[in-house]
Amino acid sequence: MMKDSDRFHGFLSSLSGISELDFQVWDANGLLFLSGPDRAGEVDLEDSQAFSAHIINQGSYQRASGHGRPPMLGAPIKYEQQTIGALIAYEPNSRPESRSENDPPGKTYDAKEMETFLTNLANLMGETWANQKDMEEMAVELSQNFEELSLHARISTHLRSLKFSGTMVSALIEELQETLRVDLSFVRMPKRQEYNAMVSATGLSDRISDQKAFVDNLIGRIPGATPSLEQDYFIVNDSRTVPEFRQLHPEQYRFLAIKVGHDSHFDGWLGLVSFNMKEIFRQGELRLLQSMAKQISVLLANMDLYHELQHFVINMVKSLVYAIEAKDIYTRGHSERVNRYAMLMAERLKLDKTEKEILNWASILHDIGKIGIPESVLNKPGSLDDEEFRIIKGHPEKGYNILEPLEQISECLPGVLHHHERYDGRGHPHGLKGEDIPFLARIIAVADTFDAITSSRAYRSSKSPEEALAIMDQAAGTQLSPDLVEVFKDVFATVLKQEFESTHDEQGCGDKAIETTHRTRRR
Amino acid sequence: MKNSKKVLVIDDGAHIRRVMELKLRKGGYEVITAMNGEEGLNLIASQQPDVVITDILMPRLDGQSLCKETDHLKEKRPFLTIVITNRISPDDRSWINEMRDTQLMEKPFSPSRVLACIDEYFCDE
Repeated sequence: MMKDSDRFHGFLSSLSGISELDFQVWDANGLLFLSGPDRAGEVDLEDSQAFSAHIINQGSYQRASGHGRPPMLGAPIKYEQQTIGALIAYEPNSRPESRSENDPPGKTYDAKEMETFLTNLANLMGETWANQKDMEEMAVELSQNFEELSLHARISTHLRSLKFSGTMVSALIEELQETLRVDLSFVRMPKRQEYNAMVSATGLSDRISDQKAFVDNLIGRIPGATPSLEQDYFIVNDSRTVPEFRQLHPEQYRFLAIKVGHDSHFDGWLGLVSFNMKEIFRQGELRLLQSMAKQISVLLANMDLYHELQHFVINMVKSLVYAIEAKDIYTRGHSERVNRYAMLMAERLKLDKTEKEILNWASILHDIGKIGIPESVLNKPGSLDDEEFRIIKGHPEKGYNILEPLEQISECLPGVLHHHERYDGRGHPHGLKGEDIPFLARIIAVADTFDAITSSRAYRSSKSPEEALAIMDQAAGTQLSPDLVEVFKDVFATVLKQEFESTHDEQGCGDKAIETTHRTRRR
Repeated sequence: MKNSKKVLVIDDGAHIRRVMELKLRKGGYEVITAMNGEEGLNLIASQQPDVVITDILMPRLDGQSLCKETDHLKEKRPFLTIVITNRISPDDRSWINEMRDTQLMEKPFSPSRVLACIDEYFCDE
């Protein structure tokens, strides 16, 4: 309020210069303005302070006798019926520069005129102060609207992103905490704890030592049914007025919780807590939070659908794997073992999450094409004739054709199609050479070879892992990618060797035993 | 230290000027305002503000021309320019990248983020 009288100071100074009067402006806290500061010594400020207090107290025009000097005159400065200041006018003792010879000293103005003049001037000042205060409040509100609008824009950007994650919930509620200037914002979803998040203003830990427990308590005390809950929110405007909430903290606070959910589906709560009781929760904020809570919920539901679909595809693919294993008794467990070896190699190769995911599916499904090969060929003991061999060799392409319609696993197709390519270019189906063979297909080829040698087939019995490694060493550079053979040997030495040995000790060196053990381990 | 920093707000919308003025004053800055680019340009020369916040679409002289005309001044006396824009133009980012100490903010902008951006600028000094 102080600064707002500034614009009158110039005016009062000029007025003082052309009249016989000096002016003072006071508010309840003290002197705001004094005209003719060089004559300040001539007035007793203690007297005028008492006089201003008297005017503010009375709220009406006052005269104070001047101890032999002309009296001090004062009008109240009002704002919405309240007196918030005083405008005081008086004749200084000496004004040599403006006093002409003819003027009698201490000329007094017409009392009635003076009262009207000062009262009008004080009213004008009061109105200006009021206008400025209104303007200020409007600007504050406008500023708040700007913040909310900007928050809206940022939030919808977040929510448009498909990869909705727990960190995004944190980012959202952090934006809320900052923009709405609350002390605590949180999301609590009992069945989706990975999305739970809490952001607090700095210094809140002084007030609440265990914020998580505090939030749990708040949510625990939301009643089962109140009218506002039909609109999906619950509000405590003043914790002192609600016993259950008063108990939670000695200080006064306000609490707003919005249901995260859509239709009749309930996910959890989005909540705000503030200890600033000068502010209130506003309609605009409520609407913002409601739309945010709804969007989060719809997003979660979409993700559920997406995951369900994903799950469906995964299960379907698994059935396919079981289907070939049912047909080909010798490759039972093969796909899972190749998958395990390939994933161990991926770990060693530090592949990223996406690549691992693709390799996971490609390695599980690499032999899926065998589903289209007659059992008589698959399980034939002894050597195959040319025609039978041609049929067997067709399984990568068959696999490719079987999987092609499944969009979700399209990225693993190259791994399936090319797992029988050879590093020297003499493989099938395309005769790709060296680095032209897709990387993941080369990994599968190595894992596949190791398992083929170490397990028994219709046409031969199994060999020991050490023998297998020796054979693979020889095949490095011709059949297999040399660097990947090295990676596999590393994986074998650090992880697999021990497993093979313990299997040997416990169960003897039978293929079935290895197979069962590996199958068990995978589960 | 912060109190001596002067911010010039150039926008043809009175409400924007008012809101920014209020926010920045509360943040401890001295604020002067201009309602178009031409007036802004004069104030940059005469008042030497430490920060210029400007709209792009304005009468008389637009924000882009203002930035281009004042960029060379930063060689001798660096100051921060924040361009606040309502228009969607992929080109804005590229010309702004060519300007010294110039940042882009899109409307609806957040006054508190503008303040934070200025605070950060002086923090680095």
